[in-house]
Amino acid sequence: MNVGQQIINGLVLGHSFALVAIGWTVLLGVARLVNFAHGQMYMLGAFVTWAAIAEFGLPYMLAVPFSMVVGIMVGFLMQQVLLRLTLKQDLVSIMIVTLGFGHVLHGVAALVFGSTGQILDTPFSTKNVYYGDLWFTWQDVAIVMVAVIVFIALKTVLEKSRLGRIARMVAEDPKLALLGGIDVRKVYFGVFAFEGAAVALAGAVIGPRTPILTSMGFDEVIMTFVVVVLGGIGSVWGSYLAGISLGLFTAFFGALVSPAYTTPAAFLVLIAVLVLRPGGLAAKPGGH
Amino acid sequence: MNHAVNALVILALVVVGYFLPMAFGGGGAVYSAFVLIAIFAVMSYGLDLIVSDLGEVSLGHPVFFAAGAYATGIISVRLGLGPLPTLAASIGVAMLLAGVVGLITLKLREFVFSLVTYAVTVVGLTLAENWSFLGGSDGLTGIPLFQLDLGFAGYKAVTDKDLWPVAYVLLLAVLWLVSAFRRSTLGKAAMTVHLNPRLATMSGIDPQRTRLMVFLVSAPITASAGWLYAYQRAYISADVLSPYFLILMLTAVVIVGRGLLLAPLIGVALILVQEKFLSFGGYVDRIILGTALILTLAFLPGGIAGAFKAGFRYLRGKAASKSDTIEGGATEWR
Repeated sequence: MNVGQQIINGLVLGHSFALVAIGWTVLLGVARLVNFAHGQMYMLGAFVTWAAIAEFGLPYMLAVPFSMVVGIMVGFLMQQVLLRLTLKQDLVSIMIVTLGFGHVLHGVAALVFGSTGQILDTPFSTKNVYYGDLWFTWQDVAIVMVAVIVFIALKTVLEKSRLGRIARMVAEDPKLALLGGIDVRKVYFGVFAFEGAAVALAGAVIGPRTPILTSMGFDEVIMTFVVVVLGGIGSVWGSYLAGISLGLFTAFFGALVSPAYTTPAAFLVLIAVLVLRPGGLAAKPGGH
Repeated sequence: MNHAVNALVILALVVVGYFLPMAFGGGGAVYSAFVLIAIFAVMSYGLDLIVSDLGEVSLGHPVFFAAGAYATGIISVRLGLGPLPTLAASIGVAMLLAGVVGLITLKLREFVFSLVTYAVTVVGLTLAENWSFLGGSDGLTGIPLFQLDLGFAGYKAVTDKDLWPVAYVLLLAVLWLVSAFRRSTLGKAAMTVHLNPRLATMSGIDPQRTRLMVFLVSAPITASAGWLYAYQRAYISADVLSPYFLILMLTAVVIVGRGLLLAPLIGVALILVQEKFLSFGGYVDRIILGTALILTLAFLPGGIAGAFKAGFRYLRGKAASKSDTIEGGATEWR
């Protein structure tokens, strides 16, 4: 086994996991909401990017924001339907509704994009970098950079800006925020818009690593659960670190044991965390 | 209504139910649809106990369905045993899995519970696709016909028409089991834990033990559907763990109204009639099913039955203007 190569793989994977999970982290940390359609929204992000390049002839750098706009629209639509349940904080129903959304998104994507796999090629994904016996693509570099930028930006906005203070106030106590004159609905819409944009960005940037299929989304959602739980629900730094750790774990597990069983292995990590520190699940709200 | 009349009405319904496929023309497609409705209704009743009685949403029930199907497939193909041993094995494997999942999730509530049970399904799917013991991505083929041999008498099901009596008996048995559960101490304890956990603890009910017990009752019900499904399809692969079955169960449980005995059966019937006889192709059907689930939960929390009730109340309120209804509240989530 080439240890250096596995570390590189692990870091790239880790940043992918963290980037895919960031929308969920904010959704959960700020709005106390969950979204089981997350994996299908990731799939949609990758396919919209692919279609923008292959069908409309957009350059990759324009296809990515285009995909994010579609992601925001999907987020808005979901929140529109979920609004009553959100204000009631009926998490169990929200879960099932978002699961239904995932089912619908899969059906729509298969109708629009067909059920065959596609390759999402970008100007970066075809350029390789060789350094000694190590290998990676420029797309991998882009993933790491985008993830780092998104995390820093999010952390800054949540802690330093007025917008972040409002979001944290809603997370602490929605009713009090309402009394304080904050339009809680707008915050919920904003959070869902961020979730849609962030997961579409993840799809657009990470999608090129593997062939894309309309049936994908399962693994992404499972890894997101693990990242969010491992990092302490709603914690931004926690998610980042959890993503990296999970990426390294996955890379080495895949190389040493079996690549087919990485998802069950990650799930075992999740169970271990749940059993060992059940208190970690009750992390303070506020997205720190 | 007194008990004798009650019993007669139920008996009449049971008899009428058995001849329903004949009333719809009795063709092969009709019998297939009825057999599948019975199987998927049984599958949904397992989940119904968790959702309606315990008040949690298990997303892990496809695993119990698959456990029944795979246990049946493996034992009948590799050991050549008949339906009774495979049923026993299905129930046994499901209870074992339910014990493990139940213990892991004992202290988890609401969305963390659902999250972990969902992870169980995804892991089950990965295992079924990759583990050669379970047939891997090819699945298990050549599951023999449903053939009961009791020594003095035998029964062999070649077509879905022959399988209908079996499916119908299974459905009736499960309906009886669910209604018996709801009258039992355990069923009442589950409802107390669901509606008022503090009262439950004060009444000497152990919530964690109750949860585990309900899991152990619920899983074999869903697994017995997997058992019959294996015989009906004669082939089992990892797609018994696909999201379709999960969405189907969830929709069936909530669409008509939670906590009503016949609701999951009617829910499954509505969905399957659309898919078998009014289909617009797989992907559009998928969109219809998902949309039905979304609309029910987002706009009709009491399901179709709840909407009807609210409609009647509204009309009655209009006629009498003075409303004397103080209902609902806690019953909404039932």
